[in-house]
Amino acid sequence: MAELQGLGAALSEAERAGVEIIGLSPDANEQSQKLADGLHLGYRFVADRDLAVTRRYGLVHAHGGADGQDVPRPATIVLDRDGVVRWFSVSSNFQIRPDPGDVLRAVRAL
Amino acid sequence: MTTSPRLAALSVLVAVGAITAYVLLLRVAIIRNHPEGYVVAFAVAAALAALAVARARARRWPAWLALGLSVILLAAGAWFNFVAARIPDTATVLRVGEPPPDFTLPDAGGRAVTLADYRGKKPVVLVFYRGHW
Repeated sequence: MAELQGLGAALSEAERAGVEIIGLSPDANEQSQKLADGLHLGYRFVADRDLAVTRRYGLVHAHGGADGQDVPRPATIVLDRDGVVRWFSVSSNFQIRPDPGDVLRAVRAL
Repeated sequence: MTTSPRLAALSVLVAVGAITAYVLLLRVAIIRNHPEGYVVAFAVAAALAALAVARARARRWPAWLALGLSVILLAAGAWFNFVAARIPDTATVLRVGEPPPDFTLPDAGGRAVTLADYRGKKPVVLVFYRGHW
């Protein structure tokens, strides 16, 4: 969540309108959606309750949760207009996320 | 020469200050992305406390207390950052220049979101995340 706010703050209004930011997590996300709507960030949050999509992407951190459950491996992926991956970053330490500046450069380079 | 109690107080200040700064500034990318910073701060606090112990004359307990606190924080912080927070490598299917797998998932309002629907319309940033972090 924290990085989503950073990214939203880094993008200009026009850029936010021109790119779709989709947050995926196993949570129901009602709170996240309310928060994003309140901040006019224009994100969409989708729920991958059973991590089926996360698994298909190869982004499951097995037993990484507080109670030993599987959780997503934090990742940020930039797709161009044709749906092709142009840039991505996958975390190797759950405290670390891509710098919003790097994501911004990848988005602006599209 | 700085007295032992002052060094002990400085040690505690550095250790507690590091935790506070990290938690409060978690949203600042440069702080969040350099978690080894708090481990270094705890090591500095431990060194200051060790110096306090070495210089202690009459009242020794503040120095020993600061040393105990900073050593525990150093061990816990190093374990958290270098062991607990590590994510084992996974075989991702992501390749630059290739489309990722398509998906359809419900959004917070229950509407279906399909990745392929954006093709030819808009660039997309996908952010896989967990909880608040």
